[in-house]
Amino acid sequence: MRAMVIDDSRAMRMILKRIVSKLNFEATEAGDGQEALDLLATMTEVPELALIDWNMPNMNGLEFVTRVRSDPRLREMTLVMVTTESEQSQIVRALAAGAHEYVIKPFTEGAMIEKLALLGLVPTGANS
Amino acid sequence: MSVDVVVKEGDLAEMVEQVWVSYLDPEGVNPLVPTGDAKQPSEVHSSVSITGSWTGHVVYASSIKAAKMAAAAFLAMEVEEIGVEDLSDVLGELANIVGGNVKAMLPPGCFLSLPQVVMAPDSATKYPSAERISGLYGVWDGEPVSVSMWQSRDGRNEGESA
Repeated sequence: MRAMVIDDSRAMRMILKRIVSKLNFEATEAGDGQEALDLLATMTEVPELALIDWNMPNMNGLEFVTRVRSDPRLREMTLVMVTTESEQSQIVRALAAGAHEYVIKPFTEGAMIEKLALLGLVPTGANS
Repeated sequence: MSVDVVVKEGDLAEMVEQVWVSYLDPEGVNPLVPTGDAKQPSEVHSSVSITGSWTGHVVYASSIKAAKMAAAAFLAMEVEEIGVEDLSDVLGELANIVGGNVKAMLPPGCFLSLPQVVMAPDSATKYPSAERISGLYGVWDGEPVSVSMWQSRDGRNEGESA
């Protein structure tokens, strides 16, 4: 399984990469939505999972989700927003744009693994 | 004009506790201990600005040693390995996380800026036309750490910078 971590914070990318690597994902990273799209365009195999920050320079996470959903080649990716945007209206916007799940920062490793288990990307109980 | 908002020290403490549990002290052995000392010194500051129905700044400040400890915890590195870029990135993310959670407590229609990091003591860090309305002051492993909230006095969106 492959995962792409998209966040303008290197620290947050490292935390997320540590978590998905523990779950045996092969992780790649990008610093914003545009960089992620550029990277995806070069990949022969599309990652199954993307963990996406909302507030980023150049292209934010919401626009990235919208662009991915409109691209038939990328449509099968599971998209998880990982963000400080915690208002209900923002969550609704992200889900309406095509995100599958929403994780609010700060999050624990266990909470992230539970979300991925709910999405069927890791076995239930991977957190224990 | 921005609306008056009360985000109390207890609200900030709850958010900070979540940050500590999630990233800085997952084992729960070294929490931030509140001191209430608003005059404690700080050497590095990171902030995010909030505009819209409320205007102001959320500021994370600490000693350099506490900032390096935070960066080491985030990046899974040794404190001695932490460089300026590591400090800047982690402090910015801390301000972003706390600021984003503060924004969620504000009336709808607020927007969060990208973080800004200043490696300078509190005496050199000014927030023009803003006054502190709330703050959490404490020590982490003996080192000063604070999170404070500054509201623009006139509520205007233009001409403000953190």
